[in-house]
Amino acid sequence: MIKIKNLTKIYGSNIRGVFDLSLEVKEGEIFGFIGPNGAGKSTTVRTLLNLIFPTRGSAQIKGMDCVKDSNKIKRMVGYIPSEIHFYGEMSVKKFLDYSFGFHQKIDHDYIKDLIKTLDLDTSKKIGSLSLGNKKKLAIIQALGHRPKLLILDEPTSGLDPLMQHTFFEILIQEKKRGTTIFFSSHILSEVQKVCDRVGIIKDGRLVRIESVKNIISNQSKKIKIKTRKEITKTEEMLDFKMINNQYTFLYKDDLNHLIKLLSSYDIEDLIIEEPSLEEIFMDYYESKEKA
Amino acid sequence: MKNIIKHEFKRNFRSLVLWTTIIVGLSALMLVLFPAFEDSMGEMLEMFDAWPAGFLEAFGLGEGGLDMGNIYGWYGVEGYLFVLLIGGSYSAVLGSSILSKEEDEKTIEFLLSKPVSRTKIIFGKIFVIILNLFLLNLLMSIVLFFSFVLFGEFDFLVWVLFSFAPLLHQLVFASISFFISVFITKSRAVISISLGLVIGLYVVEIISKLTDSAEFLKYLTPYEYVNAVDIVNNNIQGIYLLITFIVITLSFVLSWMFYNKKDITT
Repeated sequence: MIKIKNLTKIYGSNIRGVFDLSLEVKEGEIFGFIGPNGAGKSTTVRTLLNLIFPTRGSAQIKGMDCVKDSNKIKRMVGYIPSEIHFYGEMSVKKFLDYSFGFHQKIDHDYIKDLIKTLDLDTSKKIGSLSLGNKKKLAIIQALGHRPKLLILDEPTSGLDPLMQHTFFEILIQEKKRGTTIFFSSHILSEVQKVCDRVGIIKDGRLVRIESVKNIISNQSKKIKIKTRKEITKTEEMLDFKMINNQYTFLYKDDLNHLIKLLSSYDIEDLIIEEPSLEEIFMDYYESKEKA
Repeated sequence: MKNIIKHEFKRNFRSLVLWTTIIVGLSALMLVLFPAFEDSMGEMLEMFDAWPAGFLEAFGLGEGGLDMGNIYGWYGVEGYLFVLLIGGSYSAVLGSSILSKEEDEKTIEFLLSKPVSRTKIIFGKIFVIILNLFLLNLLMSIVLFFSFVLFGEFDFLVWVLFSFAPLLHQLVFASISFFISVFITKSRAVISISLGLVIGLYVVEIISKLTDSAEFLKYLTPYEYVNAVDIVNNNIQGIYLLITFIVITLSFVLSWMFYNKKDITT
């Protein structure tokens, strides 16, 4: 569905951009595109939408060039931006009319459904909507024409947990219908929930593409522990540190083992959490170096 | 493109009504005042004799210029200048904001995610600029028609020129502002620059009239291209028309060419 080949975008003075990025997204899959802020996610998305032009390389959607065939591509693309900027003075209804006015085919029933599911008041002015409601509107305008490809750029920012849940349900429904989804985010855990594969981008370069299954099975936990006895580091404990009487390390092995081991140290406090993206990178680099 | 045009027309309708009311209202007021001044005009004109010739020239009252004793001359001095100045300001504001607003308010990201080409966006917006300015001058032409019929001998050509020469003048400012807004996307900044041009070029016009050594400046200012003296004498000059058309076309076409290649990085 998406084929990005050696894409390079260099902005005038700014070093940020993307460099020699290649990736393919298969039809019908949900592809997570993750990386810290400023890594080049938005640059990639903007290239797909032809808001910006590639310095070198190319991007194709369904075999069509993102620069030359941009118009045709957009007939089958829906886009939800990270920050919503719509025409504040328009009513929701008028805005949707305008938005779908660009499309030849729209699914009126589906739009009504979405408005109902998301519980959005269409008579209100966009300017008076809360962030969450604006996001709902963004979802509807991106889906009403039944796109074959959905491009999401940090779509859950500003959504409360309940709405996030609804949103992910909509995504899963879309996937069932065969929609391909390109999901850009800096939060690995939210991408994990729905994605089939994940591409990790850092400093404008694609670091790794992995299936979510692999990541989860490979993923280490972050352990923070306070004990009354001193811990002796074992081989499975990566990135081992002791700050203020608190040990932190990453652990990849069977957790049962670890708990048994730790119980002998007389635990005062124990936190087991998902490591941040940065830490996964570290973990990844370390394991790569070892290999 | 219909969708864009409809949207832009609605979006800019309120400001069209506002500016049209001010411009047409002010001119209508001046025109209605003409009968009251007509009789005492003789004395007023004598007073003018005491003024420096260059100064009178600057306001179109010099040798072979406007005669304030008839409705055309009166309007040329008392109403037309407002139309040029305020109409110029309106067109500068409209031309500056209609495109830059999308980037300034970041709505362009939404718009370009829809199946609409940049070409259609540009020409849809240009169409609305032309349409709005045309409507402004159309309304003006109706007011002028009745005034000229009521207060003087109706001259068709003078009426047409007074009605629609300002459209060219406004399009010059609108198109230049539009072109600037391709590169400077902060609406306020573009509006400041464009309004500066509207005022600045009027000053250039005055200067070109005041001193002979600065006469060449008249080719630089759109106020000269459509000046009231030429209109009343049915004498709009070909060279000015040519410059006007070139400036307008070039500004719009270049805007389109640059916009089509531009990175949108709001």
